[in-house]
Amino acid sequence: MLAYTIRRLLLTIPLLFIALYLVHVGVSATTDPLAPFYLCLPRCQDGYDQIVEAYNLDVSIWVRPFIWFGNALQGDLGYSTSIGAPVTEVLADRAWNTALIAVPAFLIGSTVAVLLSVYSARHQYSFGDYFFTGLSFLGLAMPAFVLALVIQNIFGVQLENWFGIKPFNTGRKTGETPLEVARDVFLPAMSLAILGIAAESRFGRATMLENLEQDYIRTARAKGVRERRVVWRHALRNALIPLVTLWALSLSALLGGAVVTETIFSWPGLGTAFLRALGDVDLDLILGITLFTALITILFNLLADIMYGVLDPRIRLD
Amino acid sequence: MTEPLLRVDSLGVGFPSKAGVVQAVTDVSFEVHPGEVLAVVGESGSGKSVTALAIMRLHAKSTIITGSIDFDGIDILGLDDDQMRSVRGRDIAMIFQDPMTALNPVFTVGNQIVEAIQAHHKVPDDVAWKRAVELLEMVGVPEPKRRAEQYPHEFSGGMRQRAMIAMAISNEPKLLIADEPTTALDVTVQAQVMEVLREVQRETGSAMILITHDLGLVAGSADRVQVMYASRVMERGSIDEIFYESRNPYTRALLDSIPDLGGVRERLEPIPGNPPSLLNPPPGCGFAPRCSMAVSACSTVVPELVPVTDGHASRCIRVDDLVPVGGAA
Repeated sequence: MLAYTIRRLLLTIPLLFIALYLVHVGVSATTDPLAPFYLCLPRCQDGYDQIVEAYNLDVSIWVRPFIWFGNALQGDLGYSTSIGAPVTEVLADRAWNTALIAVPAFLIGSTVAVLLSVYSARHQYSFGDYFFTGLSFLGLAMPAFVLALVIQNIFGVQLENWFGIKPFNTGRKTGETPLEVARDVFLPAMSLAILGIAAESRFGRATMLENLEQDYIRTARAKGVRERRVVWRHALRNALIPLVTLWALSLSALLGGAVVTETIFSWPGLGTAFLRALGDVDLDLILGITLFTALITILFNLLADIMYGVLDPRIRLD
Repeated sequence: MTEPLLRVDSLGVGFPSKAGVVQAVTDVSFEVHPGEVLAVVGESGSGKSVTALAIMRLHAKSTIITGSIDFDGIDILGLDDDQMRSVRGRDIAMIFQDPMTALNPVFTVGNQIVEAIQAHHKVPDDVAWKRAVELLEMVGVPEPKRRAEQYPHEFSGGMRQRAMIAMAISNEPKLLIADEPTTALDVTVQAQVMEVLREVQRETGSAMILITHDLGLVAGSADRVQVMYASRVMERGSIDEIFYESRNPYTRALLDSIPDLGGVRERLEPIPGNPPSLLNPPPGCGFAPRCSMAVSACSTVVPELVPVTDGHASRCIRVDDLVPVGGAA
């Protein structure tokens, strides 16, 4: 298992390299940080030269990524022009904020999804099953921004500002008590959780149903094992194997920043930062966030594979 | 005659489907006495396994079960779910056909035996584990200590079935139901597993219902045989009565269709045709369309299961024409 993990970690290096090279070339080829200067030349020659130097625009587009890699290896990810701070600082700040809503959303979402999966599988075709199936299809069909707006309307407007929705969230929650942080986190986290529940409970229900029909479930019942134990131990333990993979992937997606949900709630996370970086052609920040999300995705994929081996004794990683 | 351990009376099992009720078991009555081995023989779909699962009450809730099952003075069909749970695995235990899928892949074999013990007895983990290792040794699993810590996929088919047997006898049940215990195994280990099964059955003194389609298996291991076809009991009797003095055309056809290595018979006689549909079955005897002795009356009324001698009974209207021809008896 250790050798496998090390091999997989080494493999992330070329993967990251290729991903970032492509993004670097792609963004460089389609944007021009010099655009604002064309009209004022030659009066603004100094500023023009600064930009050329800052982004190495005098070097071939195919070579530029290597200069960026060189700096990145020394811990210098550049400067974010759209936010006005070094990219490393922006990343630390924004990733923390994103995690503040992503982690609770994931924990609540996956717990509820498991409960609903077990309920629906045990009471297949019951009223409750149809009810939750209908709800989850609604959740799947609804775009994230609609859900976020509906939640804002219900909890922020109709219910008299219970959760203190502000026009702008102000960034890293330092001066606030945990309760205040929780209040800020609640609505965006809930939006993300609902989207997760909708997808995962469908998958979980199907997996539970499949496992409840297995022969070993009948064996467990024939042994006189209590039904609750049959469901929660024998069936769920097997159903968790594919679910854990799904969870690792969805958590990595959440940690990479939810652009739409963060935007609707003005949440200062990676998603809003990325959107702004794209709009302002903030090349260093685009690359910084890409590096972060690529790293997270690769690591969580590895984690999913390792968990798979831990949960299923038939699978040996080597 | 001792009081029977199990008395099944006019059992009917039907599965509701969109097209109607599939009647998998019709009017099945039989008894099992303490310590005896009753073999239930028949083709796939004859209702053998369905009968066994009805005794264990392991059918889906929607299944329509009629008649009565009396086990050791307990009305099985009248128990509530929790009472039934405490009977399963403790008083009646079951061994399933396919040991590949009947064990949970994510728990160790020892763990699953321990679970069977602890489902009925409040014993500490280490005591139960010790007992599990003993049981594995009893059913002939080599290195039981090490093997108990392994997962089912690390066991061969024969070893898994031994583990299933260990699990089934862990609470010394009064009745063992073995549903095709050797069918999924390699021929080479079938005999070994059967030997183990008979040994533990003798040692624990439990009665056994041995469900099989392998008549060869029956001859060496059962006290009595019950032949089933198309949801009904066709004939019942001792080994000799069934093998040498059968009074039923279906039983005879079944016997003619098995290879006999030691015998002089040159050609196997397959039974022509297929079993009838159990959804809207045709009137009359289920075997009539395939029966070489059928008369016109056979396709209008279902014959009764009539006694031939004490303990021997056959369901055929020509039962009197079927006097034994061979000199074996």
